[in-house]
Amino acid sequence: MADVNMTLEMVQASQVGMKAIGAGLAVGLTGVGTGVAEMGIGAAAVGAIAENKDFFGLGLLFTVIPETIVIFGLVIALLLLF
Amino acid sequence: MLAPKPMGRMLIVASRDQAAPIINELYREHMFHIEDYVEQGQGGYEGFKIGTPLKGATEASAELIKVRAIENVFAIRGEDADAKQKLSAPEIQKKIEQDLPGIEKEIEGLTGARSKLDTKAKEYEQKIVELAPFKEIPLDLALLQGFKHFSVLAGYVPRDVTISVPHEIQVVKGKERSFVLVVVTENDRARAERELQEAQFQSVSIPAETGTATARTAYYTEQIASLKKEIEAINVKLAKIKESHADLLVACEEAFRARIEQTEAPLRFATTSKVFVAEGWVPADRIAALSAALDKVTGGRVFVSEQPVDPAHDNVPVEYNNPDFAKPAQLLMDVYSRPTYTEVDPTLVLSIMFPIFFGVIVGDVGYGLLMLALCIGLWKFMKGDEVHQFLKILRNASIMSIIFGLLFSEFLGFELPWAPIIYSRHLNIGVTEAGGHGAAIAQLLIISVWVGILYVTLGRALGMINHARQDHGDHRLKAVLASLGWITVMWGILIAIWSMFPIPLMPDLTGLPIVAVGLSVGMVLAIVFIVMGVIFIARDAVLEIIEIPTIISHVLSYTRLTAVGLSSVAIAMVVNYMSIGMFINPGMKSLSIVGIVMIIVGVLIFLLGHAFNLALGMLDGGLHSIRLHYVEFFTKFYKGGGRKYIPFGMKRKFTED
Repeated sequence: MADVNMTLEMVQASQVGMKAIGAGLAVGLTGVGTGVAEMGIGAAAVGAIAENKDFFGLGLLFTVIPETIVIFGLVIALLLLF
Repeated sequence: MLAPKPMGRMLIVASRDQAAPIINELYREHMFHIEDYVEQGQGGYEGFKIGTPLKGATEASAELIKVRAIENVFAIRGEDADAKQKLSAPEIQKKIEQDLPGIEKEIEGLTGARSKLDTKAKEYEQKIVELAPFKEIPLDLALLQGFKHFSVLAGYVPRDVTISVPHEIQVVKGKERSFVLVVVTENDRARAERELQEAQFQSVSIPAETGTATARTAYYTEQIASLKKEIEAINVKLAKIKESHADLLVACEEAFRARIEQTEAPLRFATTSKVFVAEGWVPADRIAALSAALDKVTGGRVFVSEQPVDPAHDNVPVEYNNPDFAKPAQLLMDVYSRPTYTEVDPTLVLSIMFPIFFGVIVGDVGYGLLMLALCIGLWKFMKGDEVHQFLKILRNASIMSIIFGLLFSEFLGFELPWAPIIYSRHLNIGVTEAGGHGAAIAQLLIISVWVGILYVTLGRALGMINHARQDHGDHRLKAVLASLGWITVMWGILIAIWSMFPIPLMPDLTGLPIVAVGLSVGMVLAIVFIVMGVIFIARDAVLEIIEIPTIISHVLSYTRLTAVGLSSVAIAMVVNYMSIGMFINPGMKSLSIVGIVMIIVGVLIFLLGHAFNLALGMLDGGLHSIRLHYVEFFTKFYKGGGRKYIPFGMKRKFTED
C-alpha cells in the first residue's frame, strides 16, 4: 500500500483521517447498539406506562440503562479526536 | 433530614353524636391521615361496621354535580383559577342559598335555548346540503313533485346515460359525475329506473320546497346567520355571567367538595350503633395539639390515645421532611418512588446534586440565561403546584449552568473574556490559527470518574444503613457486610489500577516498595480488599458475584458528565463556525446582494442551531443527571414503594372555615 511518493505530511494527514473514522465508528456503532437495546425496553416500558402511570419513573430508568453504551463510545471518540 | 417525618398512630373514639364536630375539626386541621376501616373481623373490632354518611351528603353531591356542570359550560377549573378573596363559611352559605339557585336557573335556561338554536341551525345546514345539487336547475322545486302521471327522478350518474322510453332529461355536467333530472311517465318509470340503475345511478331525493333551489339556499343561509346572531347574544350573556360569578362558582365547588368529604368520612370509620372509632396517622410532633383541639370542640367528650408504632409492620404513610430548598426535588423522588418509612430519604442529595450535574453538563452562561428566561416566562403561564415545583428545579439547574458557564468561560460556545477558571472545555473546532489551548478532556474525564467513585461509595454506605435498619436477625449482618464488600471490592480494584499505572489527578502508587512475589504494598492491599469484599458479597448472595463488573461500568458511567457536556459544546462551536465563519464573515467582506443573503443565512443558522442545541442540552442535561441518580446511585440502597401521606382535609383556596 505504502506509496513511495507519499510525503510525511500525507502520512500525518491520513492518520488524522483514520482517527476521525475511528471516532465516527465508535459513536455510530455504539449508538446503533444502544438503539437496538432500548428498542425492546422502550416499547415494553411505554406499554406498562399506558397501563399504569406510576410506572413512569421505573420505565424511564429501565429504558435509559443501555444509554451507557453510547456514552462509552462518545468518551472513546473524544479521547481519539482531541 | 435524610429520613421521612416521624409519624404517630392515633386512635379517636367518641359517641356518634360527636362525629360532626370531630370530623369538622380533623378536616380543618388537615393532618390526620385516615386509616380506612375494612370489615375483616380483626381482633378488637368485633361488632363494628363501616359507618354511614352524615346528614346532607346526598344533597351536597347533587349540588356539586350541578356546579361542576356549569363550570364545564364556562370551561372554568378550580385548579387554574386565582383566588382573589376567600369567602368565610357564613358568607358562602348565604350565597349558596340565595344566589346559586338563581344563577343555576338562568344558565340552564340560556344553555337550553342555545342548544335549541344550535339544533335548528344544523337542520338548516342540512337543508342547504340537500339543495346543493339543484342549484343549476332554474325551476321552482314545487314543479318537480306531486304529479299524477309523471315521475321525476333526480340523482348522479358517473357517465352518460341513454333511456329508451320517452322522457325529458336535464344534465348538469360535473367533474367526476353528472347530475341528471329525468321526467318520465308513470308507466315507464320502472324501466327508466332500471336503465338508470345500470348506469350506476345514485338517487337524490327532491327537497320539499317551494321556489328555486338558489332562492331557498339564500333564504336558509340568512336564517342561519340570524340564528348565529342569537347564539352569539346568548354567548355574550353567558360570558357576562361567567365574569361576574366565576369566583362564586369555584368557591361553591370547593365548599361542596369539602362538605361531601366531611359527610362521607364516617364511611372510613368503624362504628357501632353508639360509638365510632377513627384510626389514623399524624406527624408525631402534632399529636398533642390535635388531641387538645379535639378535646376543645367536643367539650371533653372524646377519647384520644396514641398507639405504639411498629415501623417494620405498620405500613406507615410517608411525608417528606426536607428543608424548603430541597422540596422541588421531592417531585423527582415521587417519579421514581416514595421512600418507605424506615428508609434513608435521599431527596437532599438529589436536590443538591441534580442542579450541579445539570450545570456541569450544560455549563454555558448563554444557555443558562435562556433557560432562566424560559423558566420565568413559563411561571406566569403555567398553573399548578407540580408544574411550579418542576420549574423551580429547572430554575436551580439553569442557575448552576450559569455558574459553571462562568467557570468554564463559555457563552453560546464562545469564550468569555477570561480563561477558563477550572478545566477548559473549548474544543479546537473552526480554529484556524495554531495555539488554541484546547480542551482538558483527560482531566475532565478523570474528575467525572472521581464523582462516580464517591457516588458509588456513598450509595453503598447508605445501603449499609438501610440494611441495618430494615433487616433482622442473621440476614442483617450479612446484608450490611455485603454492602461493605461492594465498597472494598471497588476500592481494591482502584488501588490495583493505581499500583500499575500512574494516572493524573489520582494517587500514584506505582512507586511503593515490593513486599513479596513481585507484588508491591499497593497490590497486596488491593488483593486483600477484593478477596474480602467478594467473600462478604458471596456470603449474602452467591449469584451477586456476577454483578461485580457493574462496579466498573457504573463508575465509568459518570464520565457522561464530561462526554455529554463536551458534545453540547461541540455542537455550539460547530454552529458558530458554520454561521459566522462560513457565512457571516465572507458576507461582510463584500456587501453585495449575495453578501447580504449570506449574512441572513448565517444568522438563521445561528438562531436555529442554538435553539436546537438548547433543547438538546435541556433534555440531555436533565435526563442524564436524573439517570445518574436513578440508575447508578439509587439502585445501591434505595427501594422505595412507601405509602403517600394524605391528610384528611384540603388546602382551601377560595373559602374559609
